[in-house]
Amino acid sequence: MTDNIAQLTLEVYIKALFDTDKPAALQVVQNALDRGVTPEKIVFEVIIPGMERMIGGMVSDSLVTLSQHFLAAQIAEEVVDRLLPMFAVVPEIRGHVIIGTSYGDFHGLGKKIVSGCLRARMFEVTDLGINVAPERFVDEAVAVGADVIAISSMMVHTATGERGAKRVRQLLQERGLEEKLRIIVGGAPYRFHDNMFREVGADAWADSAAEAPEVVSRLVQEVRTS
Amino acid sequence: MTGMERLAALMKGRTPDRVPLIVNLLDQGATELGVSLREYYARGDLVAEGQLRLREKYGYDGLLGMFYAGLDAEIMGCHTILYADDGPPNVGHLVIRTPEDILKLQLPDDLHCHPRFHELATCIGILKQESAGRWPVLGVMTASFSLPAMLMGIGAWLDLFLTGDPGLRNLLLEKCSQFCSRQIVALREAGADLVIYANPVASATFIMPQKFRDLALPWVIKDLEGPGATGVVFFNGGGRINPILADLKKNTGIGAYYLNPFDDIAEARQILGHEALIVGAINDIKLINWTPAEIDQEVARIMRVGKQQGGFAFGTQVMPLQIPEENIRALVEAAIKHGRYATDAL
Ligand code: B12
Repeated sequence: MTDNIAQLTLEVYIKALFDTDKPAALQVVQNALDRGVTPEKIVFEVIIPGMERMIGGMVSDSLVTLSQHFLAAQIAEEVVDRLLPMFAVVPEIRGHVIIGTSYGDFHGLGKKIVSGCLRARMFEVTDLGINVAPERFVDEAVAVGADVIAISSMMVHTATGERGAKRVRQLLQERGLEEKLRIIVGGAPYRFHDNMFREVGADAWADSAAEAPEVVSRLVQEVRTS
Repeated sequence: MTGMERLAALMKGRTPDRVPLIVNLLDQGATELGVSLREYYARGDLVAEGQLRLREKYGYDGLLGMFYAGLDAEIMGCHTILYADDGPPNVGHLVIRTPEDILKLQLPDDLHCHPRFHELATCIGILKQESAGRWPVLGVMTASFSLPAMLMGIGAWLDLFLTGDPGLRNLLLEKCSQFCSRQIVALREAGADLVIYANPVASATFIMPQKFRDLALPWVIKDLEGPGATGVVFFNGGGRINPILADLKKNTGIGAYYLNPFDDIAEARQILGHEALIVGAINDIKLINWTPAEIDQEVARIMRVGKQQGGFAFGTQVMPLQIPEENIRALVEAAIKHGRYATDAL
């Protein structure tokens, strides 16, 4: 019975996301809860698939806009935060990520969407905001015991410049932290050059926010088994 | 023919000798003069000198009277601009952090009195004078619907217009729109022949056409209401605009549209009909790594489609500083070669 409800809920939820109608999307979630659908089912069968359907289509499906991505990720993050404490068994946090845009870069949208996707996928995320100095990335990562540093850059010079990921890599080297922390990068410039993530000293990159959780998960494994 | 003559021919529905060529180089001017970006953008006369040298060096058809997008935010109260050595200056302070900041937001009555606009106007004035009617001078501005992204950050702006308090949103847009109307007038007074009106947040990359109609279009209309749409070019600013062209054409009186590299030029022509001027753009981030042969091929492709459609100019987005000089030359060379209307071959 609730299987059916979850399926129907997903469809109505996606429609609300498509219309960028946040109140309607939240209402859909509430209705499902009221009808006895478990928080687990809502998160794993409505919120996450909804988010990934919305965001996964980004590059190829020109019909989905950034405002829809943004809202899908934002609502996912909020709902997961709210429902997690209601889970029968608290799911294991899959890793801790520090995220921000690189120094000098105020294009903050990509980072927000990535952060929402990671949170919804049970990663703990510390968001340092926009225009983050390399030292801060490292200091905060150490302070919170993060596994991965995620750096978003929207411009070529903030991606490849000396105060971006390159400097973060240097700092990790200088402080002997390379075994403990991995760097993932993303944003428009990386999409134009296959190897740019290596040039800037990152361990990985992801083409879209929807792919980020899988890549980050791999990096966390590396750190934790090394 | 000069750039101005080419443009005038297009406006009158005639065919120029070749497709007019707009190449948007900004920070490259500082390199040309051997000064830092900070020194360069401090003085309108330096930027004018840089722009004149760049046009002379590469031989394209317009003069760009713009510093960086963040200057609009400076006039609205942003007090820190972050400079880099190798890329455009960015807004380093958000003017709006709380709803009260929207209530407090103030715009100058006379833009010319603002020191930063004064430098920009100086630059445009010099360009106009030195051009002596040969090259159109382009003023650039951010539309009211996109400006809040630089005042409060794009995330907060999306929050406000998608799910926030409509009263607050309208108040902010009202102020931004007033600013835009004044800016169009002031850019013209300074000497701009065309005003490039950049509206990426209203593009189909950001919002659905229905949302555009409900939320963004009324503010395009409002921005242009006082100053009028003459000489205004609707610029994609990085987002796709074909899906909103029909609404713009029907409601705004704008006569020129600067497409995104991902907008189909033939489709745009079909939507806009015969009169509108279309600028087709190349995806210039690719110019960093492409070989001259690859550039030639892509320019040829765009020109083929554009020339078929008529009323066509060729343009770039904002060219990153990392594009090698040799590739800029290859771009211009290819555009002149493939842009020629083959009158002698007829
Ligand atoms: C909206 C926009 C603006 C707006 C809003 C900016 C803001 N505050 O966010 C405004 C109009 C203000 C603006 C201004 C400028 N912009 Co702008 N802007 C854009 C635009 C259209 C969209 C950027 C965006 O938000 N993308 C949305 C995100 C969600 O998409 P995404 O980046 O691809 O992110 C996805 C993936 O890459 C990935 N991802 C992103 N980050 C990360 C991180 C990690 C770790 C991972 C794993 C994945 C990941 O996930 C995301 C979701 O799937 C782009 C063009 C474009 N189409 O991208 C230009 C663009 C980024 N801007 C550009 C420039 C140059 C500027 C200016 C500097 C112009 C100037 N000379 O003044 C100014 C600077 C303004 C300032 N702040 O001072 C250039 C940069 C080119 C370059 N040289 O490198 C672009 C590419 C446009 C162009 N072609 O010219 N801009």
